[in-house]
Amino acid sequence: MAFTLWNLFEATLLCLNAICVLNEERFLSKVGWSARSANVQGFGEQPSAKAQVFNLIHSIRTVVRIPLIFLNILTIAFKLILG
Amino acid sequence: MNYNANTGGRPPFGRKVKRVSDVNAMGYTPSPYDQGGNVNVQQNLYPNLEPEQPFQQGENVSLDPQMNKHQILAFPGSAPYDAQTNFPSAPKAPQPQGFPGYNAQPQYPNINPMGLSSPNLSMLGQPIVQDMAMQYGQQLAGAGKTILKKEVERFVPVSKLKYYFAVDTKYVLSKLMLLFFPFTHKDWSVKYEQDGPVQPRYEINAPDLYIPTMAYVTYVLAAGLVLGMQQRFSPEQIGILASSALAWCIVELAVYSSTLYIMQVETTLRTLDLLAYAGYKYVGTIFSIFVSLVGGSTGYYSCLIYTNLALAFFLVRSLKVQVLSETNVQETSYYGAQQTSAGHKRRLYFLLFVAAVQPFLSWWLSYHLLPLESASSASKAV
Repeated sequence: MAFTLWNLFEATLLCLNAICVLNEERFLSKVGWSARSANVQGFGEQPSAKAQVFNLIHSIRTVVRIPLIFLNILTIAFKLILG
Repeated sequence: MNYNANTGGRPPFGRKVKRVSDVNAMGYTPSPYDQGGNVNVQQNLYPNLEPEQPFQQGENVSLDPQMNKHQILAFPGSAPYDAQTNFPSAPKAPQPQGFPGYNAQPQYPNINPMGLSSPNLSMLGQPIVQDMAMQYGQQLAGAGKTILKKEVERFVPVSKLKYYFAVDTKYVLSKLMLLFFPFTHKDWSVKYEQDGPVQPRYEINAPDLYIPTMAYVTYVLAAGLVLGMQQRFSPEQIGILASSALAWCIVELAVYSSTLYIMQVETTLRTLDLLAYAGYKYVGTIFSIFVSLVGGSTGYYSCLIYTNLALAFFLVRSLKVQVLSETNVQETSYYGAQQTSAGHKRRLYFLLFVAAVQPFLSWWLSYHLLPLESASSASKAV
């Protein structure tokens, strides 16, 4: 039950890593989960929920990629030293 | 403030073209700091741009329009400043009016901004120059402060936060009563000001962050108290409880925000509003914890059920106004009209989702605080 902030941080880090690892071109397009291929609707219509999710994933990946490197390095060092 | 577009271009005290060696002969203006008393320092920034009408009425009326024209032509950026500094009690008044030649001279600095050809260090001793230097320094400090505030504002939205804490006792009491018994409240709409909702002080339906913050802290303390009464307390528990509740709050907020984004529910709710509404459940949780001290498990569960019912009612009613009322706005637009029915359903689902998550979370946060009868369940605690 001890769901502390550190646990939350670790869980977030793992999830973000999972999102960033999925390569857009090689994998997601094949499955059809890419952010670009799903935009088949017109200009004025609202994108579907799936397209919104893909957009969200794409933007998360773009924003988080670089800081994630540093966070991972920090966490690995932390865990190595403090266990 | 008194922003002047020409501030950077010219030397700070370069307009002083008093080519007179004897300061006292031309009626030296005593510095406001020498005089003491209440002084508006900003008068001294442009000592020669000061409209010299007070002592030009007598002799140099012919020079008046000329001078004003020169002033206005040469420094268009400072024209609004001139309009402001119409102090009838300008310290320039002591300048004697028997020097028409002198009064003509100050026109030149307006045309010739580099009036100070050879910097004369003795000028630094003159109080007017010191005043200008001090004024310049103050301007720099003010600019630095505004820049600092802007940078801080980018990370922590201080001004928006202030809105949520603008509460008073009457609001807090009536809001708490509303949280416990919302069934008789009739009007749930929020009054709006020009661009945002009215402050919570004046509008009972507006969300605030004061009650959730206080309730969170009280929850941590109450949990510590209850644990202590069961001899299960240690100081680390406080930290664990606090960070656990905070982590759940963050998760909840992230889930709400991403749900709103994915379902494209257009609402005037902001993230801090969601935080406020998510924090109201702590009030019910505290109450249930205290009742569990008196009534044991049954008392705890019944109180929990009642407060969560009331909270669900309160949330659905409050959020309905802010989330579902968008349908009225969008019927006029062409693109939006197609999705009102689907959007309506989505919004309803979102509301029900929020209302359903609250009881679950408030139970999750407090069930381990119940007094334990059996030894086997004691091992599962925390």
